[in-house]
Amino acid sequence: METLIVDAEGKVTIPPEVLHKCGLRPGDTVALIESAEGLLVYHGGVDPQTLAWWQALSDEDKQRAAVEARHYEALSDAERDALWNEGAETLEADAEDDERELPAS
Amino acid sequence: MTSVSFQPRSVLFDKGVIRRVYERRVRLALGVPPTPAHVEAANVYAQLCTPPRRLYITEQTAHILDRRPPFFAAPFLTETSPLQKGRYLRRWARRLRELTFAPEDAIVVAYGSFGIDERFSSIGVEAIVTNDLKLATHFQAHQAEIVHRFYDMTAQLPAPYTALTLPAVVTTASILAQA
Repeated sequence: METLIVDAEGKVTIPPEVLHKCGLRPGDTVALIESAEGLLVYHGGVDPQTLAWWQALSDEDKQRAAVEARHYEALSDAERDALWNEGAETLEADAEDDERELPAS
Repeated sequence: MTSVSFQPRSVLFDKGVIRRVYERRVRLALGVPPTPAHVEAANVYAQLCTPPRRLYITEQTAHILDRRPPFFAAPFLTETSPLQKGRYLRRWARRLRELTFAPEDAIVVAYGSFGIDERFSSIGVEAIVTNDLKLATHFQAHQAEIVHRFYDMTAQLPAPYTALTLPAVVTTASILAQA
């Protein structure tokens, strides 16, 4: 974590080593987010895990992924919520038959 | 939020975190900029994938991913493992409900103590990672009562359940703030 100092004009300076590490260049846009933990700065780079996933796809797979992505983005918020709420677990005692004993180590 | 020096050996991702990482990839495939929430979740997911550690999802999250296009869902199912519901998981979840946890939140927190990984004969995780600030705040606000009720319950259970522990509940934002 870096500590930055706000100057009299409200500007902060990001240390050069951080700029280099994050691939930020003059003119790049960053987003400043107010969260419970304080102010968070985001930039538009792609995290290594997402980048590795994308680069592992062939060109044909990328095109097919884009088709699937368009289907997903065409869903309404309610439809996406419903999709991610499928198979909600029940807390009822009569559902406990699927609970397992810890196997012997 | 629970404040930890965040190098847990085992992590359970709340469904909301996986959803946002998934959606970050959907947006990449479309060439559409991600939202800050997507970026936050994806950065934390990437951070926790390296170095390798035990990464888990719930059975419900695994079932949802099973029904999604493999282009997007398969990596999650490779990089994480679904925890199985251990005995007493729902009993603990019902007790969490008495502390006004939402049903879904109660289940996730209960997985953190009673979720089983049969490959390693292990139960519970060190940390639950969530993007749900309300869940993390509620867990923190009621921690003393949760601890009391947890040990009150597990003390009455047979071994090995008496040795179980509570997980930390950590938000994605707090992990990035510590990075």
